[in-house]
Amino acid sequence: MKQAVLLPLLFLMIGSTLLAQQSESLIPKEAVTVFSLNNISLLQKISMDELITYDFMEEVHQELFDGSTNGKSLKDAGIDFGQRLNVFYGKNGDYEVTGFTIGVSDQKQLFEVFDDFEQLQSKYKDVSIYGSFFNNLILHEKSAILIRVEPSMELIDEQTDSIWYARGNGNPYGDVFYDEEILTEDIYSEEDTTIQKSEVFPEASDDPNEKNYYELRDSVQITLQNKLLEGILDDLFIKHLNLTTEDTRFKEQMSHTSEGTFYLDNSRNFEQAKGLSYFINVLPNLYQDIRELYTGNVILGDWFLKDNTIEFALEARYGEKLGSIYEELNDAKFDKNVIPYIHKDNSAFFTYNVNMRQAYEKAYEVIIPILSSEKNSDISMNVLTLELLNEFINKDALFGTYKGSMFGTFNGVKKIKTKKIEYYYDEETFEYGEKETEATEDMPIFTLGFSIDRNDIPELVLKHLSKLTSLFEQHEDYWKFNNAILDAAPLFMINRNGLFILTNDEDLALNHVNGYGKDALSKKTARSLKHDGFMNGFVDISGTLNRFPSDLLNQRQSDMVNALKGKSGKLYLKSTKTSKSSTNFLLTYSFVGEDKSGKHMLDLINTMYIFSK
Amino acid sequence: MLRKIIFPIIILSLLSSCIELIDDITIHNDGTGTFKYSINLSSSRLKVNSILALDSLDGKKVPSMGEIKEKINSFTTALKSQNGLSNVRSEFDEANLILKLFVDFKTVGQLEQGIKNSIIAVSKEKSSYELNESWIAWDGKTLKRSVPLTAFKRSNELTSSDVDLLKTGTYTSISRFDRSIDRFENINSKLNPSKLACMLKVNTFDLRNNNKLIENSITLIPFKNK
Repeated sequence: MKQAVLLPLLFLMIGSTLLAQQSESLIPKEAVTVFSLNNISLLQKISMDELITYDFMEEVHQELFDGSTNGKSLKDAGIDFGQRLNVFYGKNGDYEVTGFTIGVSDQKQLFEVFDDFEQLQSKYKDVSIYGSFFNNLILHEKSAILIRVEPSMELIDEQTDSIWYARGNGNPYGDVFYDEEILTEDIYSEEDTTIQKSEVFPEASDDPNEKNYYELRDSVQITLQNKLLEGILDDLFIKHLNLTTEDTRFKEQMSHTSEGTFYLDNSRNFEQAKGLSYFINVLPNLYQDIRELYTGNVILGDWFLKDNTIEFALEARYGEKLGSIYEELNDAKFDKNVIPYIHKDNSAFFTYNVNMRQAYEKAYEVIIPILSSEKNSDISMNVLTLELLNEFINKDALFGTYKGSMFGTFNGVKKIKTKKIEYYYDEETFEYGEKETEATEDMPIFTLGFSIDRNDIPELVLKHLSKLTSLFEQHEDYWKFNNAILDAAPLFMINRNGLFILTNDEDLALNHVNGYGKDALSKKTARSLKHDGFMNGFVDISGTLNRFPSDLLNQRQSDMVNALKGKSGKLYLKSTKTSKSSTNFLLTYSFVGEDKSGKHMLDLINTMYIFSK
Repeated sequence: MLRKIIFPIIILSLLSSCIELIDDITIHNDGTGTFKYSINLSSSRLKVNSILALDSLDGKKVPSMGEIKEKINSFTTALKSQNGLSNVRSEFDEANLILKLFVDFKTVGQLEQGIKNSIIAVSKEKSSYELNESWIAWDGKTLKRSVPLTAFKRSNELTSSDVDLLKTGTYTSISRFDRSIDRFENINSKLNPSKLACMLKVNTFDLRNNNKLIENSITLIPFKNK
């Protein structure tokens, strides 16, 4: 009997869970970037109490609670952590849309937190709409979306001007179009930068019932916001259109069981990029062709929490034409010459293998026809120039000098010799004079090397430069450019073994001009680098950051570095083979210690948050 | 003194590493004299230049070399127009980051006032505790002096990690006279053999923690009328 009752009930519960609206169904189709946390698996590993102690959560608390619900946390917000938390951002020519979608378990609790929101009229069935200033909270079934739509200033100004002038008004700014003094004011040197000249703002109207320009603009802004929001909500709740219905790639991404996913539609970013209006208006065909080139350009990512490892798997997808260029670009054999120049104890290094010659040929093949078809005299002249350069330039010499492949290393901070002026005192008179003496200063040591077939060409340039200035010195195995770095430290150039290396590491130039020998990267690492794709990177976080001079960083960078200091993790980045449709990257963060991987991941997210703040 | 002009340079140096400061004053029997001030950042060229390459640091704009030179020139110009001051000139060695200031004065009071007026002229600050403070006094027999650089007092605004970097810097104060020095109060001072000059050298880190380290009262032997 019990079974007869319980089983249907169980099926009913499972069925309702599966069929119920999920938070991702509320992501507007206008979203270009989505960062989605799969709460179920993530929160199994991270306690909420821990979560709310992070800087990025503090900000969310402030944003949501506005200080009115002190002591509360997301945990008390009536949020259903069984659903995904999706943060989205989108932009088109007319407006920006930002917000997040969540599952709701307890509406009463939710509105204890969102207590500034007032209920608004809703024309949609089973949809409740709440508003607070520019934010709207919309509830549908067991999910909610917090959304903010901001019309662009261009759209607001355009609409306002249209109404303003249609009413027979003159220039709202009067004759003073701009105040030259304000434009040239040094905003940095003076502490008080308040603009007190009231004449730059339109005067209030004599008739209190008639809006002045700024009042009108405020009204236009609010009206536009409401109209744009209505359009988005119509799509969501009448037409049932959202990002999952409109982009199968995103829908597929949402089905992943990873702890989190990332979606970035670069092709739509391209369409909305500023500075393209010239192309759109003057060269519409060219714009259309370039747009097609970017079609399908999307970055999809997943991250996985494992024991002592966090993996970020990224897939960059693109259209066939662009893919054909990437494929040629990345069709480069790993340059094994770089291995001896990377010390096995380097805190950080990267290798980058591309075939610039093949990429150039392919890009020429793809792009020149697009440009040639454009009926525009300027473009035609540019195409002619490109085609003539293509014929006349010695491409063997050019791409033999710059093949495209390179490597870089960070060798820590070392003392380097510089010169200083020191005062000396006459003990009889206390008069003093100056003398030049040697000084030592700390400097981060970097090495950057480029694969090269034509070593003779940089040699030619350097020989001539050394005749022009004594700052260039030729030594037996290397070149030295004195005071090249910040007018104080030398730069060494090593031009041999199929590489042209720039470094401020005197030890490398003087003692390891042919590499570090047995102290170079291990054969195992070298094999791995050879087998991976066009890009490889390694960072020993503690080794790198603890050796990095934080006084050379600005405050944000310093905060980020400090937030990461103390972490014992290692970051590896590698790419897999590039095809005509995609390139995959894998970023692995591994660490030793007792911390759970989720905590480490949150530490990293927190660092990124501090950095981007 | 010189806060608006030199403060950015001081901050740059304090954030980087060592700094060498010399203030050298000569007072003749008639009260006239010469004041020389020197800031040497040459041993921190690399770090100062790397900071100058940044747009901002700790949320504050980093001045460009051109802006620093412009401020120095404005200050020098303002100083030239002050009563009782003459032969005013400044030298800035951009390559080695050494700034020198030379001023002849009729009285130390006019020197002090002239410098205060010049600070006011090149900055928006019209009044402050530091500007009202007196750092030098001369009554014909005794010279009383302290730190003639209020920016140093402002170094209290620095973070503890920055302050550590002050430890290798030096501040040297030299006072010269036409007649012999009878006595001085600061026991760390040193007299030259002819007793016509007195030198006091302190560590910038210690000075930052205790401004009084550089304070001194130097009394000369009585003036003999011939």
